[in-house]
Amino acid sequence: MAQYLTLEFIAMLTGFILIIIGLWGMITQKNLIKLVIGFSLFDTGLNIVIVSMAYVKNSTAPIIDKAVDVSQAASKIADPVPQALVLTSIVIGLGVTALMLAYVLRMYREKKSLDINSYTDLRW
Amino acid sequence: MVNPIHIVSIALGVAFALGFLGKREKLALGIVYTALAVMLAISASWLSHFWGNVTEPIQIFTGGFKPPFAINLQMGLAESVFTLLINTAGLLGAIYLANELLKAGKNMMIVFLVLVLGLNVMVMTRDLFNLFVFMEIQSIAIAGLVILNPDRKSIPAGFKYVIATGLISSLLLLGTVFIYYFGGTLNIDFISQESLLYVKGGSVAIFLVLLSIVLELKPFPANGWALDVYEGAHPGIGALISAASATAGVFVLDKLMVFGNFTFFNAISIIGAITFLGSNLLGIKQDNTRRLLGYSSVGQIGLIMTIIGLKPYLGENTKFIALAILLSHYLAKAGLFWLAGMVNADKLKDWGAIRGHRIYLFLMGTFIFTLVGFPPFPSFFGKWQLVMQLANNHHFWLLAIILIGSFFEGVYLFRWLGYAIKWDEVEQNYPKIKLNQFIPTVIFAVLAYALGFYFGELSGYKSTFIYMAAAFIAFLYIFDFLPVFVKNTLAIGAMALYYFANQDTFHGLTSIFFIIFVIGGIITLLAGYTFKGKRTGFYPLVMMMFAGLIGLLEAKTTLEFFFAWELMTAGSYFLIIRGKKSMEHALSYILFSVGGAYLILSGFGIAQIGHTGMGLDVLKDVHYYAPIAFTLMAIGFMTKLASIGLHIWLPGAHAEAEADVSPMVSAILLKAGILGLVMLFLSMGPQKLFGIDVLYVLSWVGVLTALMGNMMAAFQEDAKRLLAYSSIGVLGYALFGLTMMSHLGWLASLSIVVTHFMFKSLLFLAIGGVVMRTKTKYMYQMGGLIKQMPFSFVSVLIGIIVIAGLPPLTGFGGKWLMFNAIMENGWYFQAGIAFFAGVISFLYCFRLIHTIFLGQPKDELRNVKEAPFWMLVPQYIIITILLVLSALPNSMLKPIGQILLNYFPDGALVWHGQLAIGPYGYWNGKLILAIVTIIFLAVFAWLYIINRKAQKVKQFNIVYAAERPFRPETTHFAYNFYAPYQKALGFLVAPGITNFWDAVSDGAHAIADKIRSIYNGNGQTYLAHILGFTVIVYILMNGGF
Repeated sequence: MAQYLTLEFIAMLTGFILIIIGLWGMITQKNLIKLVIGFSLFDTGLNIVIVSMAYVKNSTAPIIDKAVDVSQAASKIADPVPQALVLTSIVIGLGVTALMLAYVLRMYREKKSLDINSYTDLRW
Repeated sequence: MVNPIHIVSIALGVAFALGFLGKREKLALGIVYTALAVMLAISASWLSHFWGNVTEPIQIFTGGFKPPFAINLQMGLAESVFTLLINTAGLLGAIYLANELLKAGKNMMIVFLVLVLGLNVMVMTRDLFNLFVFMEIQSIAIAGLVILNPDRKSIPAGFKYVIATGLISSLLLLGTVFIYYFGGTLNIDFISQESLLYVKGGSVAIFLVLLSIVLELKPFPANGWALDVYEGAHPGIGALISAASATAGVFVLDKLMVFGNFTFFNAISIIGAITFLGSNLLGIKQDNTRRLLGYSSVGQIGLIMTIIGLKPYLGENTKFIALAILLSHYLAKAGLFWLAGMVNADKLKDWGAIRGHRIYLFLMGTFIFTLVGFPPFPSFFGKWQLVMQLANNHHFWLLAIILIGSFFEGVYLFRWLGYAIKWDEVEQNYPKIKLNQFIPTVIFAVLAYALGFYFGELSGYKSTFIYMAAAFIAFLYIFDFLPVFVKNTLAIGAMALYYFANQDTFHGLTSIFFIIFVIGGIITLLAGYTFKGKRTGFYPLVMMMFAGLIGLLEAKTTLEFFFAWELMTAGSYFLIIRGKKSMEHALSYILFSVGGAYLILSGFGIAQIGHTGMGLDVLKDVHYYAPIAFTLMAIGFMTKLASIGLHIWLPGAHAEAEADVSPMVSAILLKAGILGLVMLFLSMGPQKLFGIDVLYVLSWVGVLTALMGNMMAAFQEDAKRLLAYSSIGVLGYALFGLTMMSHLGWLASLSIVVTHFMFKSLLFLAIGGVVMRTKTKYMYQMGGLIKQMPFSFVSVLIGIIVIAGLPPLTGFGGKWLMFNAIMENGWYFQAGIAFFAGVISFLYCFRLIHTIFLGQPKDELRNVKEAPFWMLVPQYIIITILLVLSALPNSMLKPIGQILLNYFPDGALVWHGQLAIGPYGYWNGKLILAIVTIIFLAVFAWLYIINRKAQKVKQFNIVYAAERPFRPETTHFAYNFYAPYQKALGFLVAPGITNFWDAVSDGAHAIADKIRSIYNGNGQTYLAHILGFTVIVYILMNGGF
């Protein structure tokens, strides 16, 4: 049990729990805004998972200078790649969420309803 | 060479720069076009760089590091082709959308550029995360385009699209980061499959990545969101999603399959096949144009997924097959979406508005035939090669699924085409041609032909004849404004030229068909002089059909044969649909033809297993499953022959066709089926399927077809339908003769085939002439026409004497031979039925002549004239030939017998002059003709003498009882002519088979309707589909968690 009580494990677990909550929200919430929030939670959870991967215990920032020399870099520094990825991922998540909300706004203006069940004109 | 990175930089740079232009929308649009053109030019220049050279792909490094430490792009042959496709669709799509782009302004232009950019990078990038980013960018861009150009339906559709692709991208991202976690790199070329699959987490990561790409390609049934956006979005955007976006997606899947092991390949091929079958099945229930196109898009991409999944089996052929099908999909789908935007008809039936518009219909026909995989389009060669390879790898289930899916696709596409050509319950309304929309569509149509030619070359298809014929057809199409007599003369001239150039080319059995197809074609074409004006569109189609028929004779390989077969089918479909009420009949004709063609195709596929060449002689030496191949091909050919069970398309198709088309399709076209059977039976000989002799079964099919065809003919009210059913019957005899596999049987069969050509064209022309004059096809509305139309009467009289097999004319010879052959074979049961069927043929023959020409003339038909001169000319040519052949039977039977000696040396007739001696008797045609003529003249003279004093009674010099019938025609003697027989035997011809096929069709529609209710329009349900799909595929692939 003890080996699981590490920071990176807890972070990753939290991330996955958020992902599942987010999915649950996307699939069960009829309100369009809540649905978008569900997506946002999913996205956040995903980002936490990414960050948690980069974590290396007792390590320092991924900058090679006096504190860390090149030969020890691999074991001493946190992995910089996921951190770069997570930035991009956050930006994209922002864009998608904004686009979703823009759609929700347009839909609401048209039918004055936020219930996803009122937008089933196209089917079959 | 311009660095491909500039595709990215130009798109990005221009997209940013547009912001500085203020309100100058037109200038902005010009800059966007320039940018897209330059991007297109860059891909094109790289394509020309790699074309034909075996150059390694070049790598473009970014960020000053080499991979895997920085993102790199790759440009090779494949990338150049795919970016070229994307940029072409981008530029032409932007031109198509010019008005929308101007209206929505610069924002939409920016989003458009970003979309094209995203697709380009998806193709070029070698970095997994980069791939995720640009896939997300293209999804956002598509959603952006939808919201920027809204109509009432597009917004909710766009929302469903955003949440679905949002979820899918998140799965992709999850997979991507875990690939990095377990594999240590994001570069596709550095990720090692083995190390990833070694750990459970790694294999889950690969699963997530590949599955999210599959989900982006809209697999059935997790694709409701995509269907909605196809239906809701502007067709110009639909075209981009279907053509450009799916093209990029397919490339990505192929690129990432390096991670997949065997299980992944299998899974993808199965997912693809289910998608292809499922969406095409659901498509048949669809009546909304754009949604239909959506179903078709999804299906086609499924097929390409299958091909990618089959890569381990297809090996080097994968590229050819996948490209052929992808390119066809790309051109046709973009073209059809664009057309849909121009015609702007929501419901399929509304497409009737463009009926009669040559250009729109030409474009639509081109794209639809491209999609279904007809020659000469790339998909034809792709599908051909795919079927051959599937057969080679013994993937018969997959083969069946793909062909059934293709068939469903044919159902809805041809139904749609039929509406556009014929549906006359909507106003004709030709949309104005807007050049910016029209030109891209035309370019894609032209490309479909050009690429078809190229793929034909690649697959080793070369037929000088077909190319010449194609040139002539194109010539006729272009010069369609010429009057009928010029075009008719040209057509006849071309056929005659072909005849004289090739009369020594064909030997053996093909020479018989050569004469029927070419001489028969010329004779029936003569009737075309009857028509006045231009007869728009007729001649290219006629020539297409004849080119197909002759192509069958010219074919040296199975591919050439199948090409010609499909060409003939396409030509005859268009000819048949020209008739007045022929829309549904043409549809059932083409569906039976397509179904039959697929059976033939799979037969060819099985037959060539283990062979290297595709020569027609592979049929002589089939290594595996010969009986199955034989049965498949036999059923396929019998579809054309309209054997019982497969006949329901024929009566309508032949009866509703135009006066001179009926003889062509009935007397000539049906012989293609016989030609196929002749080739098949001779090459493969008798086969036993599960211990049952297939030929024996077919012999029963033959006699039953003869019986049923004749009975149904006797009960028709419509004269042309009567003739159509009679063709079914006669060809049943022909089939029966062939199944005997003996000299006499074949002689009988082939002589029936030749005489059937003559009497059926004679009768169809004669009745066609009558119908032209009386304006009705119902016999009870005619009567007493002998005085008005004596020449037609003589034609029909001679025709029915031949048909009934009465001495002295040639029909008798066929019958005599047939019974000799049956006796020799000892098939007495069949003999009984054949004999009975022969008796029934008297019934319909008598009805035909009596009800039309004898009896009471109708008041309104008192002044009809004789049939047009040019309808009579071919009839009397045929009568002359018939009389000569009747007097000198050995002039036809002896040469056929000579030919048959090569195949069946035993049991031939012995000839002494015109005296033929068979095993059970002898027959002297000349003598019999003389005797019958003398008896006829004697009786005639006797009647003439004793009747001279008879008093002439005027028509109305009789008393009618004071009846008041509810339906006047029921009192006519010709109505329900054989009521007593019908009471006695009618149950035998109750439309059981028609009901059966109706039930099959209704069943398929009902199933489709049931299944499609999963697309309930709720975005959340679609999300659940995506998740459920992911979980189920995972469980199926791994057998648990």
